Amino acid sequence: MAVREILLYPDRRLKEVCAPAQPPQLESVGADLVDTMGSIGHCSGIAAPQLGELVRVVAVDVSEHPKAESSNGLLVLGNPRVVEAEGSEVGREGCLSLPDLTANVRRATRIVVEHTAGEVRCEGFEARCVLHEIDHLDGVLFLDRVESLVDDVFRRRSYGEEPEPQGR
Amino acid sequence: MSGGPTYYAVSAIGRDRPGIVAAISRVLLDVDGNIEDSQMSILRGHFAVMLIVAVPESKRSELQSGLEAVRAELGLEAMAVNEVEQLDRGEEPTHVLSVYGADHPGIVHTVSEALADRGANITDVQTKLSGAGESPVYVMLIEIAVSGEVEQLREALAAVGEEAGLDVSLRELGAEAL
Repeated sequence: MAVREILLYPDRRLKEVCAPAQPPQLESVGADLVDTMGSIGHCSGIAAPQLGELVRVVAVDVSEHPKAESSNGLLVLGNPRVVEAEGSEVGREGCLSLPDLTANVRRATRIVVEHTAGEVRCEGFEARCVLHEIDHLDGVLFLDRVESLVDDVFRRRSYGEEPEPQGR
Repeated sequence: MSGGPTYYAVSAIGRDRPGIVAAISRVLLDVDGNIEDSQMSILRGHFAVMLIVAVPESKRSELQSGLEAVRAELGLEAMAVNEVEQLDRGEEPTHVLSVYGADHPGIVHTVSEALADRGANITDVQTKLSGAGESPVYVMLIEIAVSGEVEQLREALAAVGEEAGLDVSLRELGAEAL
């Protein structure tokens, strides 16, 4: 267990498609994700490739976030796969690996995710966070999901200063 | 001769300050002009204006002298007025292309040349330099009208991205990606 350094784009590892996680990796990488996420005050989610681990593990915890209307508490998901998605909403996102930018991204509002330990249902802000983290496992960053730099992408002044975006 | 208006392309750029749009639009109003399409935005502290305006033929010299007076008064760096042919709106974009990567010279040219070679018409380009200090990240979003084979274009762009160290993704515009 350890707090690890967050990779910043253009590190190539952030653009790789990650491999399925095996049980020992799931445990060790999952613990590092939780520790690292907990060490960053504004962080609601993190994905293994952001630590340089190219395996399919993400951690999400929106229980303390004011935007979250519902929460499953701390989620550590191995080999997550979205099996149902409905609804559609634009919301502001940030990313720990692109620290200077935030963007408006359209995401599903209700999802069902299968993972190694079962199935989880997420809504609203929690669904957005889980989808953002699962994107990381396929090398997809929010810049791959925006349509307009003028309308949808914003320079972040500094972490903590802007109330809207959440660092992930 | 018909009594219809004459169309002009007006472009101007100057150090940003309050009142640039107000001064230009005052002149256009005074010559009974109509702003048909426009784009105006701040680029690195300079305010850039591009307009297509319809103005009665009889007001041609007033339009030119009025805008020249604005340029002098506000100390704008450039002001150009050119008569243009009246055209339709042009092609509608079908796809949006995200391009980003470590900043280096030639990103815009490399990608736009690949698009031009395959007959894809650019309808809008926006770029931003992001990230501080030693590793600036260049981000570009291009809207394009694709009439030919999208998959061939996608493959060509992937190859260009690989060669130039850029991350490139092409999506259908307006398509939901859930």
